[in-house]
Amino acid sequence: MRWLYILHEAFIGLRRNLMMTFAVILSVTVSLTLLGASLLLNEQVELATDDWVGRVEVSIFLCDDRTCPAVTPEQQEELREDLQDHEVVDEVFYESKQEAYDRFTELFADQPSLVESIDPDTLPASFRVSLVNPNLFNVIRDQFAAYPGVDEVVDQREVLNQFLRFTNVVRNAALTVAAIQLIAAGVLIANTIRVAAFARREQTSVMRLVGASNWYIRLPFVLEGVIAGVIGALVSWGLLYGTVPRVADSLAQDIELMPFIGASQVVSVGPWLLLAGGGIAAISSILALRRFLDV
Amino acid sequence: MIKLENVTKTYKRGANDQVIALNDVSIEVIKGEFVFVVGPSGSGKSTFMKILTREQMADEGDVWVAGKNLASMRRWKVPVLRREIGYVFQDFKLLSNKTVYENVAFALEVIGSNRRQIDKRVPEVLELVGLTEKQGAYPHELSGGQQQRVSVARAFVNNPRILLCDEPTGNLDPSTSVGIMKLLDRINRTGATVVMATHDQHIVDSMRRRVIELDDGYVVRDQTRGVYGYGG
Ligand SMILES: Nc1ncnc2c1ncn2[C@@H]1O[C@H](COP(=O)(O)OP(=O)(O)O)[C@@H](O)[C@H]1O
Ligand SMILES: [Mg+2]
Repeated sequence: MRWLYILHEAFIGLRRNLMMTFAVILSVTVSLTLLGASLLLNEQVELATDDWVGRVEVSIFLCDDRTCPAVTPEQQEELREDLQDHEVVDEVFYESKQEAYDRFTELFADQPSLVESIDPDTLPASFRVSLVNPNLFNVIRDQFAAYPGVDEVVDQREVLNQFLRFTNVVRNAALTVAAIQLIAAGVLIANTIRVAAFARREQTSVMRLVGASNWYIRLPFVLEGVIAGVIGALVSWGLLYGTVPRVADSLAQDIELMPFIGASQVVSVGPWLLLAGGGIAAISSILALRRFLDV
Repeated sequence: MIKLENVTKTYKRGANDQVIALNDVSIEVIKGEFVFVVGPSGSGKSTFMKILTREQMADEGDVWVAGKNLASMRRWKVPVLRREIGYVFQDFKLLSNKTVYENVAFALEVIGSNRRQIDKRVPEVLELVGLTEKQGAYPHELSGGQQQRVSVARAFVNNPRILLCDEPTGNLDPSTSVGIMKLLDRINRTGATVVMATHDQHIVDSMRRRVIELDDGYVVRDQTRGVYGYGG
């Protein structure tokens, strides 16, 4: 009886002002889609970093006459032995010119012009080295950069760091915009609820008069805001569910080095969106009613 | 049932002007009494009523209603107080989008009564006010007197111990007013305490009940079996 009444009143309020309801839902959807996207970007970064950091490598590129006199088989063999014997080195792999080329063509399979621009001889061969402790890169560089036949010692972690700096900027920008949008949505909700309470002031004054409890008077309005907020959250959840796994899939085809998030991460971000949408709506509705409906 | 001791109520008007609506008022109304509160417009009658429902709070003095001290009452308990009090206004304050039945039932619904209680009690009280036939009508389809009966039914439907009526006949013609007064008298005879603010001389004179007269916030007369003016 009570709950039926409260729900009924809430839906009456939502229907009475369809334009406002629509605006609220839209604004919550926009802000929560942004919020969800930045949360997912964060997930993606964490997933990628875990994977990359786990098998972080130092690349030691070998000379091939382009930049310096080509490495001799003896130099190469000596380098390998010294690397394998080194105390900070965990594992050593050799990547030949042909293997480097294969990896490149696979990586850029859908950019034929790029693939055509190089031939199997273009890319240098390298030793890929994983370290016992990735922070000891300097030790490796200092020791091996001057080896005969070594062109360049590259810390792949630095590449990763550049990538992380970039994604952090994107994520923080998205979070900031999402926060501003969320505040705007909250203000819109507060205003909508105030209008709704004003439209029904006769009814609420009668309720006060006959001794309806405070929450009984307010709950329909709060619920009205929360329903709109939750609908907005559901829509944004659906949008993310419909787009993010596809984008991740198509990226995964291009970038084989990295694991990508999928539908399950989008699903697990949903409760947070619902909480944010319902929460912001409840808080702004309650604040909007604080003065208005006091006994 | 109702007791005021040295109650003063001041309204602020702008930055440094104020009106004293009640000035050192001490009144006691016992259970089952029927009391008129009379006085010219602006003398503090409505303020007196509002203090009893805690719509306004006294600045000074003590107020007891139905055994409760209103000054120390927590805000969340005010609804409980109001369930002991029925309130009738000069302008009825009916909800225009609800029928007679729904208007009366609404008062029970919003305090959490169940359907069975409502279906039992609403017809009883509509019968009491003589509107059984009109239960499906909307307020705008009723005369002023009928609307006021609905309003009395709504005030009385949850069997309050106190009925406060603020100029309930103010918008009604004399013959209709007589009907309303009979109704209030009948309700009073069921044991409810009735306090009625009015400046309708005929009604006060014809009923011969206790009269409390206010003037400029002061109690200037408190007379059992009184009439409106001193002359009567
Ligand atoms: N909410 C209010 N704010 C300011 N002044 C008020 C308010 N209510 C009543 N007053 C003033 O208090 C005095 C008493 O008013 P009221 O109690 O309504 O008298 P009555 O009902 O006898 O006409 C009047 O001067 C009125 O203008
Ligand atoms: Mg008045």
